[in-house]
Amino acid sequence: MKAIEVENLSRAFNSLRAVDDISFSVEAGEIFGFLGHNGAGKTTTIRMLSGQLSPDSGRGRVAGCDIVTEQQRLKPLIGVVSEHQNLYERMSGRENLEFAARLYGQEPQRVDEVLEQVDLLDRAKDKVQNYSNGMKQRLVIARSILHRPQIVFLDEPTRGLDPVVGREIRRLITDMSSQGVTIFLTTHYMEEADLLCNRVAFLSEGRIVALDTPNNLKTTHGSNDVNVTLNNGERLSLALDGPEAGNELQQLLNKGQVRTLHSAEATLEEVFIQLAGRRLAE
Amino acid sequence: MNWNIVSAITRKDVVDAIRHRYLLTALVTPLFVALMFRVMLPNMNSREILTVVVHDPAVSGIVAELQKDPRIGVVEVASADATPKEVATRKAIGGLVVPPNFASEIAAGRQPELTVYLNNQKTVFEQAALRRLLDQIVRAFAKQPDPAQLVWVDIDKEAKDKIVGGTGLDQMLLPLLLILTFGMTGAFVVPLLIVEEKEKRTLDFLLSSPASLREIIAGKALTGVVYTLLIAGLLLGLNRQFIRNWPLTMLTVLIGLLFVVGVGLVIGSLLKNTMQVNTWASFVLIILLAPSFPSIGITQWFDMAMRVVPTYYLTEALKLSMAGIMASRLWLHLAVLMGCTVVVFFVAVWALHRRS
Repeated sequence: MKAIEVENLSRAFNSLRAVDDISFSVEAGEIFGFLGHNGAGKTTTIRMLSGQLSPDSGRGRVAGCDIVTEQQRLKPLIGVVSEHQNLYERMSGRENLEFAARLYGQEPQRVDEVLEQVDLLDRAKDKVQNYSNGMKQRLVIARSILHRPQIVFLDEPTRGLDPVVGREIRRLITDMSSQGVTIFLTTHYMEEADLLCNRVAFLSEGRIVALDTPNNLKTTHGSNDVNVTLNNGERLSLALDGPEAGNELQQLLNKGQVRTLHSAEATLEEVFIQLAGRRLAE
Repeated sequence: MNWNIVSAITRKDVVDAIRHRYLLTALVTPLFVALMFRVMLPNMNSREILTVVVHDPAVSGIVAELQKDPRIGVVEVASADATPKEVATRKAIGGLVVPPNFASEIAAGRQPELTVYLNNQKTVFEQAALRRLLDQIVRAFAKQPDPAQLVWVDIDKEAKDKIVGGTGLDQMLLPLLLILTFGMTGAFVVPLLIVEEKEKRTLDFLLSSPASLREIIAGKALTGVVYTLLIAGLLLGLNRQFIRNWPLTMLTVLIGLLFVVGVGLVIGSLLKNTMQVNTWASFVLIILLAPSFPSIGITQWFDMAMRVVPTYYLTEALKLSMAGIMASRLWLHLAVLMGCTVVVFFVAVWALHRRS
């Protein structure tokens, strides 16, 4: 079953085509990565798919709802984690979630459940302005899953967070996924996409330039070489493609001359640069 | 329209506003100004003698009561017609024409008419002081809470501009304070509630939730209504002795409230951040507030100019409705105000849709 189906979706802001004729689909329960440089159209796509922005053309269905004509039916079925930590800072963590619970018509005890899930129960009474960045991000994620959505859109959820907090957020994402929630994730961090996503789409200048599993992208667009360091310090790069592939490596291994052996397959970032012609951080 | 969502937004904003420094300041300012007037005016009274011209043919005893007060200097005149002329000649603060049957009417428990000529070339503080002192003296003289119908006449205005009122300060300070309350709502409270959601990006969260833009705006407007009614209610309640017709006063307050909430929605939809609100709101507040200072000796052209500001009609309607005068002028003022309210709401809807 498709959780998200998009056909020829476009959106322009004045003369700038932020999203340009994109088509893709996401299976239910999948973690789908949407990768692109700043201004590639990731956030615009999320805003259109979450019913916050109408497309200029094209069609989209999310959780079985048309993104233009069925926005009010769609909204309770999705959760959105914005790229900004858009919380009410003068309110406590609990008050933020209680407000969201009222908007979504959820029972109050659900607030404690999600606070516990993101490990914020003991700080629930503190004002959000006194939270660390990591705590705020966990609270935003708690708010996005409060109403048990089918699909969660996460826009750069680990941006600006330290590695430990980043790992905690990734754990929450995999927890959500293990509960059957479909995840639509945008990120700058290639390792994160590689680690979490079942499939990724590369977005450049508003267009999808590649869409596949991280492994397929790396093998299709990268080389199948291995880097070998010999006992005498010499370094070799050996191709594993072709009819004689592996023979030389086998001989070196048999002679006991190999000190270290590393895969030289392309990283997702290298594949992106190759396809989009620029780095993700640009 | 899902009213559960609207009430959730209002509830959140009502609580959050108390924690918001600017919003809290805007909300309590009218109460603070009211307190300031209360504290300041009696002190000002004691600084100098207020000359009052009096015509009291039946020697009702009110002159004696006036003379007891060390802050008032009394000049008696022989005729009612001479009273306003003498006020102008002597540059007195005001004049009092006591009808011959004043004492007997009071004794019979009725409310006789007492004409007070007010010199509107004097400062607002002197005028306020006279209003307050006369109020106290007439009450003390009659020994009853609602002794007389005071007819206030500005000496350099046509007789048709006279306003009948129960007592003194209500005709000037209370409408001013109410307009200040409305102005704070329209210029600060509602715009800040909207702008802060944009600035902090929480509007994105609201728009991705089941709340529609219409429900979000309704929640904000309702918060403005709740706080304004609370403050206006407090002001009216504390000055309840000045209100002669509560239903009429409340009707005027509600129409005025709708107008300023509409103004707030327009400003909130056009501006982007708190800084812009702080910059522009002061101008809006001054414009909204200006017509509520009609009797401080302003020039005719300025008075005419004020008629293009909708709060002019609100101020006039407040004066008349508080005095309990259901004159055709009152309905005309309310009709103009309603018209302005409809226009403002149309502009607000257009601006919000344009922004969304």
